[in-house]
Amino acid sequence: MKQLFNLFLFEYALSSLKRRGAKNIFILIIFFILIFLLSCVFFISNSIKYELNLTLKSLPDIVMQKLQAGRVQNLNIDRISKIANIPGVSEVTPRVWGYYYFKNAGVNFSVVGVSRFSPNYKKSIQKIVNKFDKKIFDKSDTMIVGDGVKKTLEKNYYNKYFDFIEPNGGFKKVYIAGTFKGATSLESNDIILLSNKNARKIFGMKNNEATDITLRVPNPKEVAKIASKLELMYPDSRMITKNDLKISYNNIFDYKSGIFLAMFIIVLFTFFIIIYDKASGLSSDEKREIGVQKAVGWKIGDVILQKFYEASIISVVSFFLAIMFAIFYVYILDAPLIRDIFTGYSILKPAFKLPFIVDFQTIILIFFATVPLYLAATIIPSWVAATLEADEVIR
Amino acid sequence: MNKILKYFVAFFSLIIIFLGTEVTYLSFQNKHKEEKNIFVKSIGLPDLSISTEVRYIRHRSLSDIFSIFNEDPVSFSHYLTTFVYAPSNVVNITPNTIKVH
Repeated sequence: MKQLFNLFLFEYALSSLKRRGAKNIFILIIFFILIFLLSCVFFISNSIKYELNLTLKSLPDIVMQKLQAGRVQNLNIDRISKIANIPGVSEVTPRVWGYYYFKNAGVNFSVVGVSRFSPNYKKSIQKIVNKFDKKIFDKSDTMIVGDGVKKTLEKNYYNKYFDFIEPNGGFKKVYIAGTFKGATSLESNDIILLSNKNARKIFGMKNNEATDITLRVPNPKEVAKIASKLELMYPDSRMITKNDLKISYNNIFDYKSGIFLAMFIIVLFTFFIIIYDKASGLSSDEKREIGVQKAVGWKIGDVILQKFYEASIISVVSFFLAIMFAIFYVYILDAPLIRDIFTGYSILKPAFKLPFIVDFQTIILIFFATVPLYLAATIIPSWVAATLEADEVIR
Repeated sequence: MNKILKYFVAFFSLIIIFLGTEVTYLSFQNKHKEEKNIFVKSIGLPDLSISTEVRYIRHRSLSDIFSIFNEDPVSFSHYLTTFVYAPSNVVNITPNTIKVH
């Protein structure tokens, strides 16, 4: 045990760090910024991935979209009865959804239609809606909006209702029955939920048209077979299965993405400058110190151990400090400045409340990409100096 | 144990204690899993509304190749978030089935 950890050498290493205080604090700060930036971006991207996968099981098993000339087109809802007859399909829903551009604020809302507000549907939706007004909700022209939509409408003096402009230039007045709870803000911020009838009116769609068709297939083993059957039935349409969505979710950040490449290059470049500086040799002061240590009887092992302690203190302290601040910054302060990279130029910004997950894989990756490199870059030149004769080093 | 070592141990323990408290506090926070699932089930649409600047980022998993190369077949888009989020694999799913009679 005494061999593994020498308290006196550790104390000496601390004093030695204090002696060259300014230089070591500078290295500690650079190291801190480097690990902090890396871990912030990794934490945010991992949490976004986690948030996506959290609701994967609630998505429809198959989404059918009609494609024409590479673009998604509306499809005819006559298909439903034929699709419903396929064995294994439990539910077929034609869906009407799209984007509505609100010119005054310069934002796009996602307008989603639902076939009917059935008692069951109402019951489940009440759990996720704030300020739910049942009286308004029972009227025909009502909608439930996301937090961001509500705020934007209020800014434009639409407190109780909103006038949608139809494609023919007419107005469609729809009352606000409630707002989705803040907890679902990451999913619901830009959503307007209303009846299919109203959604069709707003989009100027015919009654027999739908944006896409969703299917529920209770047996997951049958999904691929049913999708291929549908492809044969409707060669103009593509089927997006839950598995495709899962792959899509997991590929959201590939490391070819510009942001990660940019981050990595900057961070690693800075880091390698420090390492280059360290590895290119010790300063004459440091060399002389090693010479004196050897002259008074230190062994090569002692010198290396002392340098190892010094490098470990700097790298491990800055590592834990950076991880601590990164968690605080991302999950408690909601990542100011860095969140703008992930929200882009969009005007409707949701509350950036990301779910917290401890991703050991990422933390270990960051640790092994930085700490051992720094240790090696500190120890190797000291070892070179320590192997020389004492008088040679001092001279 | 000299003075510097005492300070160091105190400082390092403080970091670890703070880190531990932070992780414990955040781990017990409600992730609102049930509410989010009810929402997604009632809407049926994938993806998050983190960024709404482009439709193929907002509804990334339901987008098509045309919306990505909207301006020109060789011009990739120039929005900030298209630099962050990779295009979905779904854009490559195009119908090309031969109907067997």
